[in-house]
Amino acid sequence: MKVLFISGALMAGILAATSADAASIYAGQTQAAQVCSHCHGVRTPSADAPFPPLAGRDVEYLQKALKEYRDKTRKSDIMNAIAGSLSDDDIADVAAYYAQQAINP
Amino acid sequence: MKTAKSLLSNTLALGMAAFLFPYGAQAVSDDAQKYHRLYEENCASCHGSDHGGFLAPALNNETLKGRSPTALRTIVMTGSFDTLMPPFYGRLSDDDIRGLVKHLQSTPKLDNPAWTIDDMKASLKVYISDESKLPEKPAYAIDDMDDIIGVAARGKYGRGEGSKAVFINSKTHQKVGEIPTNAAAHIIDYNPANPRWAYVKNDTAEIFKVDLYSMQVVRSIKTGFNGPGLGVSRDGKYLMAGSYVPHNAVILNADTLEPLKTFELEGVDPDGNLVSSDSGMVIGTPYADVLVVALENAGQVWVVDLKDDFPVTKIENVGRHLHDAFLTHNGTKLMVASYDDSIVTAIDLKERKIIKKLDAGCVPHVGGGAAVQVDGRTLGFGTNFGDCSKTVVSVWDLDKMEVVKQVPVAGGTESPAAHQNAPYVAVDIISKDRRARTVQLIDKKSLEVVKTLDVGGHAYFPEYSADGKYLYVSAGYNGDEVAVFDSTSLEKVAAVPMESPAGIFSHGRVKYITRGLSPEESKGAHQ
Repeated sequence: MKVLFISGALMAGILAATSADAASIYAGQTQAAQVCSHCHGVRTPSADAPFPPLAGRDVEYLQKALKEYRDKTRKSDIMNAIAGSLSDDDIADVAAYYAQQAINP
Repeated sequence: MKTAKSLLSNTLALGMAAFLFPYGAQAVSDDAQKYHRLYEENCASCHGSDHGGFLAPALNNETLKGRSPTALRTIVMTGSFDTLMPPFYGRLSDDDIRGLVKHLQSTPKLDNPAWTIDDMKASLKVYISDESKLPEKPAYAIDDMDDIIGVAARGKYGRGEGSKAVFINSKTHQKVGEIPTNAAAHIIDYNPANPRWAYVKNDTAEIFKVDLYSMQVVRSIKTGFNGPGLGVSRDGKYLMAGSYVPHNAVILNADTLEPLKTFELEGVDPDGNLVSSDSGMVIGTPYADVLVVALENAGQVWVVDLKDDFPVTKIENVGRHLHDAFLTHNGTKLMVASYDDSIVTAIDLKERKIIKKLDAGCVPHVGGGAAVQVDGRTLGFGTNFGDCSKTVVSVWDLDKMEVVKQVPVAGGTESPAAHQNAPYVAVDIISKDRRARTVQLIDKKSLEVVKTLDVGGHAYFPEYSADGKYLYVSAGYNGDEVAVFDSTSLEKVAAVPMESPAGIFSHGRVKYITRGLSPEESKGAHQ
C-alpha cells in the first residue's frame, strides 16, 4: 500500500509535469481524509449532518465551487476560511478524488 | 430538522422563562439552564454530564481557563480533525455556540448527578412483552449465529439517526440488521447461554436487549449517564453495568433487565485515599458464577458472587487508574490494565488475589485483549494508548506470567485482535496523524510487525470473524465504513458503510474467553 502510494504520487508528479490538467487523486485523498471528510464524509452521507455529500459529484462542479469559495464570490463563513488557502492544484486533486468515489446508498 | 426543532423549543422555553421571571438575576440562571440543556443534548455523551470528561476532554472553568473563546468557538464550528469531535456549524446557531463557550468557561465540574435503582426501574421500557411470539430461528440466512459481527456505529454526532448497532453476516459481509440506539453505540455483548440475545450499551448508559433472530429491541433500561462497562454472566442470567457518572454499578436480570442491586463504587486507592470511582471494565467468566468490575480511580477489582445478596470480594491495590482487562486460563485469571502505573496486573480469580504486576508499555489499554497459543506457550498481547518515545505492544507468557517481548510498533495502539486460525495479531495505530489510518500486523511466531495496512479512515478496533478468515476494521472518524480484509492475503474484500463505526464485536467471542484462544480454552472451566 505504501509502495503503491509512493509510486502513485510519483506517477502523478510526472503526469502533472507533462499536463496541467492531470490531478493526483492520491494527494486529493490525503487532503480529503484530513479536512473535507470531517464534514462531508467520504462515501457514506451522514443522516444528521447538514453538509452535502461530495462523493461522485461532477469534477467540474466541485472545482468551480471550491474556487468560488476560495475567491469569496460564493459566501460561506466556514468554506471561505477552509478553501481560502487552497492552490489550483489542491482544488484539482480534491475534486478529482471526490468525483471518483462511488457514493454508498 | 432536529436542529430546527430543538432551536425552536429552546427559543420557546427561553421566551416563557423570560415571561415568568422578568428579573435580571433570574434571566442569568435561565440562560445557564438553556446552555446546560444544549450541553446535555449535544456534548454530554462524550464530554460527561458532570463536565468531567468521558471519551472526550473535560469542559469546565478549570480545564478551559485561559483558552481563547474564539479558538474554542472555531473548534465547535469545524470540529477537531482526526478526533471524533464533529462540526456543529449548521447544527447550532452561532449565538448558541458563543453562548455555550461562555457557559463552559464559567461552569465548574458538577457533582455526580444521582441515578438510583428507582430511576433505573422507572426507565425500563418493554417493547415486546410476549417473547414467546418471537421467531424460533433467524429471519435471515446464516449458517451459525457465531458468524454475526456487531459494530457499534457512533453516528457523526454521537447521537441521532447514524447511531446504531449494525449486525453483519461475516461470511457474506452483508448487513443482516441494525438497531437504532439514540446515542452512540459503544459495547455489544452476547448471551453465552442463548445465541439469540445481544446486549447493546450506548454512550448515555442505555442498555438494549436485542433479539438477533428478528433484529429488534425487546427491552431497554438506562443504568446511569455514561460509562462503557457491561458484562454478562456465564449462565446468561445476569448483566452487570458500570457507570462513570454516577459512580455506580448495577446487577440486572439479563432476561427482564430489571435492576437487582446497585453498588456505590468507592474505596481506598493505592495511595491510601478514600475515593469515589468510575467503573472500568465489567466482565463475566466461564469459570464461575461471578461478575467482575474494575474501580478505575480506587484501583480495586471487585468480584461479585451471583447468589444471595450478591456479596462482594474486594481486591485492593491493583494499580493506579484501572481500565480494561482480559481473561486467561479457562477464565480463572484476569489481566487488568493500569493506565498510570503502565502495568498489567494478573489476578487469580479463584484465590481472589493478585498474582503479579507485569510491565506493559506506556498507558496500557488492552481493549478486549488477545491471547494465542504458539509453540506450547500461551502468549498474551497488550496494546498501549500512550504515545511515549517508545511505542510497543507487550507480549506476556501467561503461564509464567512474565514479559516475553515488547514489540515496537508505529504508534499508540488501542485494541489487539487475534484468532487461532489467523497468522497475525492485528493492532490499530491511533497516533494522531497519517498513522491513525493504519493497522499493523504482528506475526504470531516471530513476534515482529510484518505488515502495515492502510485502511482509509481512522482505523480502529480490529476483529476477526468467528472462522478467522476475515479481519474486520472500523475506518471510523473520517472514513465512513467498516473495511473487511482476507486475514491471510490481507486483500480488501468488502466494505460495509455506516457513520463513524467504532467497536467491533464477533458473536464468536462467546466461544473463546479471549480473542485468539481456541474454544477448548474455555471448556473444562464449567466444572
